[in-house]
Amino acid sequence: MSLPAEPLLEASGVSCGYGDIQVLRDVRVRVWPGRLTALLGSNGAGKTTTLRALSGLNQVTAGSVRLLGQDVTRLPPSDRARLGLGYVMEGKRLFHRRTVEENLLLGGYVMGRGGDGWGGLGRRRALRQRAETMYERFTVLGERRRSRAGELSGGQQQMLALAQALMAQPRVLLLDEPSGGLAPIIVAQVLEIVAELTADGLGVLLVEQAAESAIRIADHVTVLDVGHVVIDKPASAIADVSELQHAYLGGLRKRPPAPAS
Amino acid sequence: MTTVLAGLSVGAVYALVTLGYNIVYIGSGALNFAHSNLMTLGIFLAYWGLVQLGWPIAAVIVIAALVVALAAVAQERIAIRPLRHIQGQLVTMVGTATLITGIIEIIWGQQALTVPSFFDDAPAHLLGGAVLPDDLVIIGLAVALTAVLALASRFSLTGLAALAVSEDREAAQLRGINVRRVQFGVFALAGAIAGVLGPFLGPLTFASYTLPAALALIGFVALAIGGYGSFVASAAAAFAIGLVQTYTSRYLGANYQNLVIFAILIVVLLALPNGLAGARRERVV
Amino acid sequence: MPARIGRVPGPVVPVALAAVLAVLPWLGLDVYWNQEIVLTIALALLASGLNLSLGYAGELALGQVAIYAAGAYVSGYVALTYTADLFVSLLAAIAVALALGLLTGYPGLRLGGWALAMTSFFLVLLVPDLVNILQRWTNGTIGLVGLPALTLFGQPLDANQYYLVAVVIGALWFAVFRNLVTSRHGKALLVLRRSPVLASSLGIGVRPLKLTAYALGAVPCGIAGVLFANLDHFVSPADPGPFTITTAIAVLAASVLGGSTSVYGALAGAAIIQLGPLRLSSFNQYTDAVDGAALIVFGLLLSDGLSGIAARLTARVTRRAGRGDERDSAAGGVLRRREHLSATLSGVPLEVTAVAKRFGGNAALSGVSLSARPGAVTAIIGPNGSGKTTLLNVICGFYRPDAGTITLGGTAIGGRPPHKVAAAGVARTFQTPFIPSGLTVAEAVATGRYATAYTGMLASVLRLPAHWRSQRADREAARQALAVTGIANLASEDAASQPLGIRRLIEVARLVAASPAVVLFDEIASGLDDDEVADLAQLTRELAAAGGTVILVEHNFGLVLDVADDIYVLANGEVVACGPPREIRSHPTVLREYLGVAPTESTERGQ
Repeated sequence: MSLPAEPLLEASGVSCGYGDIQVLRDVRVRVWPGRLTALLGSNGAGKTTTLRALSGLNQVTAGSVRLLGQDVTRLPPSDRARLGLGYVMEGKRLFHRRTVEENLLLGGYVMGRGGDGWGGLGRRRALRQRAETMYERFTVLGERRRSRAGELSGGQQQMLALAQALMAQPRVLLLDEPSGGLAPIIVAQVLEIVAELTADGLGVLLVEQAAESAIRIADHVTVLDVGHVVIDKPASAIADVSELQHAYLGGLRKRPPAPAS
Repeated sequence: MTTVLAGLSVGAVYALVTLGYNIVYIGSGALNFAHSNLMTLGIFLAYWGLVQLGWPIAAVIVIAALVVALAAVAQERIAIRPLRHIQGQLVTMVGTATLITGIIEIIWGQQALTVPSFFDDAPAHLLGGAVLPDDLVIIGLAVALTAVLALASRFSLTGLAALAVSEDREAAQLRGINVRRVQFGVFALAGAIAGVLGPFLGPLTFASYTLPAALALIGFVALAIGGYGSFVASAAAAFAIGLVQTYTSRYLGANYQNLVIFAILIVVLLALPNGLAGARRERVV
Repeated sequence: MPARIGRVPGPVVPVALAAVLAVLPWLGLDVYWNQEIVLTIALALLASGLNLSLGYAGELALGQVAIYAAGAYVSGYVALTYTADLFVSLLAAIAVALALGLLTGYPGLRLGGWALAMTSFFLVLLVPDLVNILQRWTNGTIGLVGLPALTLFGQPLDANQYYLVAVVIGALWFAVFRNLVTSRHGKALLVLRRSPVLASSLGIGVRPLKLTAYALGAVPCGIAGVLFANLDHFVSPADPGPFTITTAIAVLAASVLGGSTSVYGALAGAAIIQLGPLRLSSFNQYTDAVDGAALIVFGLLLSDGLSGIAARLTARVTRRAGRGDERDSAAGGVLRRREHLSATLSGVPLEVTAVAKRFGGNAALSGVSLSARPGAVTAIIGPNGSGKTTLLNVICGFYRPDAGTITLGGTAIGGRPPHKVAAAGVARTFQTPFIPSGLTVAEAVATGRYATAYTGMLASVLRLPAHWRSQRADREAARQALAVTGIANLASEDAASQPLGIRRLIEVARLVAASPAVVLFDEIASGLDDDEVADLAQLTRELAAAGGTVILVEHNFGLVLDVADDIYVLANGEVVACGPPREIRSHPTVLREYLGVAPTESTERGQ
């Protein structure tokens, strides 16, 4: 399956860090319409930092980020969201003290006239209707629309976080470890939903710990190791998971490994 | 009953202070204890407009709202910018509050000034108690504003967005909410409200440069009881404090008013660190 | 507030200044100036009290004016009722100030941030009410009038003599203050201000130190009250009086103007606030505006005050005299010049047995056991959420384990508070280095020795031999630790403004200087480049070879495989594997946890 020519979202030559801690060095990541890119790597490799840089929560110290053909490197996160970038953060950063319904309405904040205006009743009604479609897709949310987000179970919160992001009808969706802390059976459900997202032309960037499951649903695989990109190719070109082993377990070494016994 | 009404009137003033605190807290996560200075500025502007210039009330309200909103926004720019350590934030916050008071002193001097009321001095009689019409107006305003703000924050998208900002700034940004603009907006709103209240507060409190400190501190007690970010709980606590203060003054003497409030403050802070209904996090101005 | 390295100037200039001030009346100084200077000294004393609590300890305790009032009334009352002896007045005021400081400090331990600020400010609001309630002693709104002149050794003091006494008392206090904050106790306060967590991890008991800071910060306020009361021989709350919010703000302004961690800055700040032009000409009406503007300007732009400006000017002058080359050495080249660790560490075994910890409904640790022996490097690895950090914090005493035991050399330490665990010989680093501001690299390293080689405050204040002994020992230990980490050439640089790699090394040096029994490294390699990681690996092995019990919590798998003797793999709060590197490297469970690979036949064979 050949890739569409132009990526929806592209980070090129990106270096990024926190204060003077350099986490990413010269990173390239691409997301295509209707395709799922899996971003993998061991802890501390920089996966979350990459997503934060793409979304604008972290400033890049070098390189550029292009969204839908536009250079958004200096744009704040709220503007990128308005352009069609969705981001479901690790740990399901919902508004725990707001209800399910309110979380969904907030998810659709960018919709409607100008996105940041005072919004009339019409906008609220339109958002309510859109929330109804989310309830159809994620039935468990429909049953608990008046509950506070903080009272939901882990799996329900993950569904809500996804639905919240989808309310804005994003063109690109960043997902950070949606399976985090969930029981295996829920993980399977979540990943199934994720795999279907690309059907409508949505580009998805999935960060996951569970590498094998991620590769199974991915079209493209990018692997980070200590802030560098070490593998960047179509999923079909990955022979098997052991190819990743070196990236995960190698680390940076100055001395040759002890002879294997 | 007279005592009750007097207590409610005092409490209403404190409630208005907590409204100012909460508006800013909800949209920015910051606690602006200089709000009482803004309210005092509003009172002096009312004096200036009504007494010194003799303008009609409508014009005075508009001018006061604009000027105080401007002061509030300027304060946001100065006191919010580079601040990382709480020790530094304390300094700039006290600085802006003091500067506003200082400007008031320079322009209007240090004598307490009388702001005229719309009503004559005849007390009204309500439910068996005597009360000045000004007191009723302020009680009404406090209740009405609390209700409007509580409803708006829950039921309007903008209000919801502000609540979101105070709960999780980053998540709010990702949902497309321009947090900078929200922050600016809530400061401007709090300032405008403080300005509008000037002509109504003035007759009750007199225009005095010593007003801010007491209002700020006792308003904080109400906020500590009700919880940061909760309009209704903090306002209710404020009314309760007004009643406590008035009754204490009546039965124990005026010297004990603040002591009792202080004791309540200590108990509340040690026993209920998040207040009755409040949020967990506090950032700063 | 990032304070610059203002080296506190030696005593020569201040003593000379005090001497000059003292003799001014006999040189023809007008009585009016007498008063103003004594008031300035009082304001400087108040500002120095604020410097101690806010600048040094970082506590937003703003109740100085209330203690000032108490000191003034106590002095007045004692003079009217018992005796007008100077020493009795001072002692009474200091005793009351100490008591009030402790009384208001105790709830202050529980409160922090804005709650503390508002509560302490509230105290100032209460002063007029308390004066009225305690009428019997304070004489209410009339105040205590007609106070007799204070007597010194039986002789009443006239105006000039009183002035001289005031100058001497002021000078004495500042000497005490200077001795205190330049000693290791001042450094400990800066550590406390940076983070109570850091303080605990260095063995500093946070509560006792905070209470001490409150109590000590109250003393100059009481003294200032005595000076004030006896200046005009009356104490009254007349409005606008001396015991108001305006005064409290002036104190804050004086402190900030001078530099809140400066010793003599309080004097400079007080002089400007008290004697500044606007103050004198249009009494009171401009005070607030000026104070407010000063607070804003200095709070935003010149956050270390006048003393910071002075320090930067002197630094520029000395730098031009040729000390510039040291700052050019980048982090990378530094480590090559490190010395090898020659000291020995008395390591003890650390045993963790079946430790469990829950947070709400979440089991962060379930039955974790590990054993770390002296002379070896034990590594703990695992994905995010595996419980590594929780385990580290439980060992250090920041969390109490719900079940299980932790023993250090046979002694149970589970459930002990962190500063006790640190005092027992456990030293750690942090994921993001905690370096207090206002210290040089050498001083920052020496703070590691605060608890392990404790010297009392009294000895420091009075500069007794014990103080000098411990100072020499601190310097030597710091020198060695810096040499071992290779950053000896940065000893006089500002610690907090160093790049990350250097700050990591400062933390390591701080740990080495404490000669710990157990070393805990928390993700020490993160953010460093390959060369830095390699040298850190070498140092880790040397620490183990020196006899220490070294525990490494790490993400960097390569580093772990290189240096560890034993590796424990954590996942979901449990130990899923443990063994030497060659086993762990191909362990199927490790593969699953890191790769999310289900164990297949081929990997299971490796079991």
